Amino acid sequence: MLAASGARAPVPVFTAAGGGAGDALQDLCLRREIRLVDSPRHATVLLVAGRLPRSLVRPLAQVHDQLPHPRATVWWQAGSPSEPPQLVPGMTTVAAGQDAAVEAVVTAHRELLRGVRASEQHVLADEPPARWRGVGPHGQGGEGMMGGRPYGRPMPMTGPDRDGLELDQVRCTVGPFFGPFPPGLALDVVLQGDVVQEATAHPNPFAEPDPSPHPAGDAPAHDVFRRALTDAVPVRDLELARADHHLRAVARVADLHGLRAVARRVVRTAGQLQPGQVAAVRSLRQRLERWRWPRWALAGVGVLDRQVASRTVAGPTARAAGVAVDARSDDPVYADLGFEPVTHQEGDALARVRQLLAETEQALELAARAAGRHRAPGSGVEGPRGALTPTSAGSDTALRLLPDLLAGREWGDSVTTVVSLDLDLDGAVSPAVAAG
Amino acid sequence: MVDVAHVSTLVGVLTVGTSLVLGAYVVAVLDEVIGARVGGDGGPITTALVTPWRRGAILLTQQRLATERPDATTWAIAPATYTALAAAALTVVPLSPSFVVADVRAGIVLYGAAEVLAMIAIFLNGWSPNSVFGLVGGYRFVALAVSYTLLSMFVLIAVALPAESLQMSEIVRAQQGLWNVVRQPLGLPLFLVVASGIAFWGPLNLADASDLAGGSSAEASGSHLLVWKVARGAMLTAGSAVGATAFLGGWLGPWLPGPVWVALKTSVLLAVLVASGHLLGRMRVERVVTVFWTVLLPLAFLDLALAGLVA
Repeated sequence: MLAASGARAPVPVFTAAGGGAGDALQDLCLRREIRLVDSPRHATVLLVAGRLPRSLVRPLAQVHDQLPHPRATVWWQAGSPSEPPQLVPGMTTVAAGQDAAVEAVVTAHRELLRGVRASEQHVLADEPPARWRGVGPHGQGGEGMMGGRPYGRPMPMTGPDRDGLELDQVRCTVGPFFGPFPPGLALDVVLQGDVVQEATAHPNPFAEPDPSPHPAGDAPAHDVFRRALTDAVPVRDLELARADHHLRAVARVADLHGLRAVARRVVRTAGQLQPGQVAAVRSLRQRLERWRWPRWALAGVGVLDRQVASRTVAGPTARAAGVAVDARSDDPVYADLGFEPVTHQEGDALARVRQLLAETEQALELAARAAGRHRAPGSGVEGPRGALTPTSAGSDTALRLLPDLLAGREWGDSVTTVVSLDLDLDGAVSPAVAAG
Repeated sequence: MVDVAHVSTLVGVLTVGTSLVLGAYVVAVLDEVIGARVGGDGGPITTALVTPWRRGAILLTQQRLATERPDATTWAIAPATYTALAAAALTVVPLSPSFVVADVRAGIVLYGAAEVLAMIAIFLNGWSPNSVFGLVGGYRFVALAVSYTLLSMFVLIAVALPAESLQMSEIVRAQQGLWNVVRQPLGLPLFLVVASGIAFWGPLNLADASDLAGGSSAEASGSHLLVWKVARGAMLTAGSAVGATAFLGGWLGPWLPGPVWVALKTSVLLAVLVASGHLLGRMRVERVVTVFWTVLLPLAFLDLALAGLVA
């Protein structure tokens, strides 16, 4: 009876986002049949989506093995041209749209609970990350009293903290499937209590050479911004896509701060945007401001000053720090529509969220005013994360910014900073990061 | 012959057990309903009524995972302790003038003690699995718990003053003419802040936050996770029940029987707390400490001072 009842519950799903799948996975929050969970240990189904370079397969296996039995894995193409990874036998693969993916997840869950489908076994051997037994004078895996590597992990050593005290340091890797982070981002972190002492970003996994028949450079057909580089595209489409992107970024920040329902409302609004429909976004903005959570959670977090912002970030993130650069300023169509870049001055996470909301309203107004006008290809396209050129590097420089931005900050503020920067590793592939 | 003491113990255990499970269930249903309202998803109420049971059923069929070198004993004890503390807090809530499971002379102090000991349960739940996110979640709670319990102490002493007693039933009787929510307008809001802190709910959910992939319960699965969730709902219910007793006149009210009034008032406070979880985002640790020590604690002093003057 328990199993029959559990089979009808919303399926607890842990999502592992690969390249090009972030938005598709975000949309799943609107589906009542499933419930997205924070930890793989709270899930029955692991939903893997998008393009997975080889370097992400082992971390994915580590996530897989953390799901409790009974468990199942579903891989979903999620609109990104990609092949399923070789993860575990019996994994369901779905190439079609959202409904098919949700159905596959629900079916897997029901079959598991009814005992029709066997629970998946471990992918990796259950062994410590390095050999340690019997090594060293006390068999603790190393030299001296504190130098060992019991269970194959380094002992937490002490180091000076921000107040000048000597405190234990914990080293760990967060990502590349940590829910709040953008797909593919992994950080090596040294923590002292709740404070990040050091953070180092792993190389961008999407920058590695990809032997699959769908290399990274393929622009998905729905990416109107990339299409605008070569074709004449309606301004209306560009601005609606921008508004959609910005609202999704705001939803991710809300979700991170425990506002799941608010995030759902924002994602739903994003999916239903119409030109000129400013009222819905404005009321959303007023609602957010009225409840004051943005101020409580975001003010003073992840501050980028104007100089740093102008060198390292682009798009709304840079404009939130007072850098009034926008490729639309030089575009004759936009000049006719009376476009002026919006900016904020503070450069913190709060300014970034306000910037995104202000630009969403602006985009909807522009879409309404543009009517049927097209934008001619040739000059730079202002993408949702900054100017796009055929060789644009996007978030790569921002990735290199993270160590300085996160060191000395509390973990919660660090995650807020990363999420509010709206990084995109997959769309930001450049050889520089692959090398460094 | 049936011993009267045994019967009353049995009735007490059944009452507390029922309120514990029912409270957690009501919290889960309210969470579904208010979440759907805020999220604009709509949906039939029947779904909200059955979903918590179904979700619980999944957890009961799921494996309880171990981590690498956990402290298995303390890990198992942690959710049990937290549940027991919620239960202890519920025992002192009078349901009517004649029915209190444990009408101890220092009932309000017992609730305060449960709040303080919750810190140990939450810390152990995070520390025992030997994992970074759990550990950070546990420590976060410990770092904030002092702020919560200090505030709680002042607010609770203030309600004891007009009653000239620490006994919960006396505190209710002292509100016969005027409820404490009117007499001490600062008290209830401050108390609700403490109650959401102790159940690490809404803006004060720092211990089990999503920036820690679930924090102190990031490694919990199956029945362990279920007990933890139930305990958390029960602790929120206990806070609301004590709030309804100390500020909203407990069983007092016309027409309806006392226990119904207690249940209604508790549900109203629960709805406020659950709604706060959907409307107010999680605060930053630093901000919580600053707000507690520079704004809420002085307000609690003021609350106590005014209560003293009036009494």
